[in-house]
Amino acid sequence: MAKQIVMDATGDTRHEFDPADAAAVSNALARFKALTAAGFTAAVRRDAGTSELIREFDPSADETVFFPRLRGG
Amino acid sequence: MRFDVIELPLWVGLPTVFLLCLLTCALVLDHVREASGRRTAIEKGVALLKHWLSPAQLAQYQKYGYFEVRGGDSGKRYRIGPTHQMNVDELNEQGMRTAWCFGPEGELPIGDVMLAQKIALENDEQATLALANRGNPDQRPLRFG
Repeated sequence: MAKQIVMDATGDTRHEFDPADAAAVSNALARFKALTAAGFTAAVRRDAGTSELIREFDPSADETVFFPRLRGG
Repeated sequence: MRFDVIELPLWVGLPTVFLLCLLTCALVLDHVREASGRRTAIEKGVALLKHWLSPAQLAQYQKYGYFEVRGGDSGKRYRIGPTHQMNVDELNEQGMRTAWCFGPEGELPIGDVMLAQKIALENDEQATLALANRGNPDQRPLRFG
């Protein structure tokens, strides 16, 4: 199962989907578009603590984390 | 100053006391539930952070409460500590540091904030620092350890 992890005040909210299920992938794509349009940054986890920012939905990613827009403190 | 004691009939006084007790209990329960939710959020944030750290960063975080990352553009060292304000220190070879302040919008637990900062510095350092607030270079001993 692939995971979309959205950071929020509760820690995070997780959405799992089966990459082989076309309907689930479509929902995940819609969520990706909605979150990035709202200013969230998406990053996928690679191995050994590395990550990569993504601008396009990657259905093959095991784990994608979304964090809200950054701002100066 | 003189206060008059108003004597209420028993059928008014007892229900009033009962309602006050109920209200107090509800407030206490609400407070406990809120505190528990905050604790859970903090724990979830820390668990997510640990899951995304490299083994070296995780070891450093578990030992000191902070961890270091390399800027994706410059290769500079940054130390990310467990506070919500000015918690990113840029380190140079002479031990000087410059504090940076930035983070994700909203009320996120500290683990989430630290993870967002790590991802941003490792993958998009220049754009991240462009929006961050910068402190003055400082020679005081390093914070967080």
